[in-house]
Amino acid sequence: MKQPEENDPIDVLLHEQNAYVNDDGFTARVVAALPRRRQSLRSAALLGLLVVGFAVTLLWLPWANLPPFDPVAMAMLNTQVLVPWIAVLTIVASLVWATVAAVESED
Amino acid sequence: MIDADLIARVLSRHDQHAFAELVRRYQSPVRAFLARMTRGDTHLADDLAQETFLKAWRKLHTYRGGAQFSTWLFGIAVNEFRSVARQRKELALEDMDAGEVEAPEPVGNLAGGLRLDLTEALDGLHSLERAAVVLCCQNGLTHEEAAQVLECPLGTVKTHVVRGKEKLRRRLAEYQGHETT
Repeated sequence: MKQPEENDPIDVLLHEQNAYVNDDGFTARVVAALPRRRQSLRSAALLGLLVVGFAVTLLWLPWANLPPFDPVAMAMLNTQVLVPWIAVLTIVASLVWATVAAVESED
Repeated sequence: MIDADLIARVLSRHDQHAFAELVRRYQSPVRAFLARMTRGDTHLADDLAQETFLKAWRKLHTYRGGAQFSTWLFGIAVNEFRSVARQRKELALEDMDAGEVEAPEPVGNLAGGLRLDLTEALDGLHSLERAAVVLCCQNGLTHEEAAQVLECPLGTVKTHVVRGKEKLRRRLAEYQGHETT
């Protein structure tokens, strides 16, 4: 970019007439006209990843060694019941949180 | 946030907020340039400007960052104008060798002053001269950048600028002559 030649009146005149054009909703119209094709594609991909994540979790977790779900024992802070179930809930919650965060970042 | 960061966000995340910021920054020079090119038809200029930005969104991955973003945008704007000018003979960009475009008659009442005079004088230039003068003298592009935008040799751009400014000078002098008589 260069500055107008100070001693050329035509340059100065042209530069002076370079007035700012108010937006007046132009940007909003452009953004509204942008294609949105990738959003649904990406959402579908994320949903697929969530399903895969849940499937892997179901297969990978040692469900046979997991103590039975016992709310009373949990309420009494029985660590033999509480800790494995907290681990399971943490894994599932992480999957859900990651998917929600990814979908929200689309907007 | 600088242009490069906004462009990176658009490319990596299709971030429409970042693109909107780019549109906000450059809508004024692009719309003003196209209004000049369409000889004041602001509706057509805004349609072309909108198409310019939509094309920029689609083609942003081809922007290499070697030139300024505004230069790249002006290039798209010129191509949009060219495609319309092909259908509308009066707007044609490649009319340089077709002889002198008739300058508009100076209006009787020059109350609008020099601003109106300059607008009329610019309208009287051939499209390529007008584009070169507006890009270089109004938007501050270098001759090299203007040559890139207009896809023509550097020497041709320099000739257009010199010739265009000379015509403007002559016509403004004519207008002022009318004003004093």
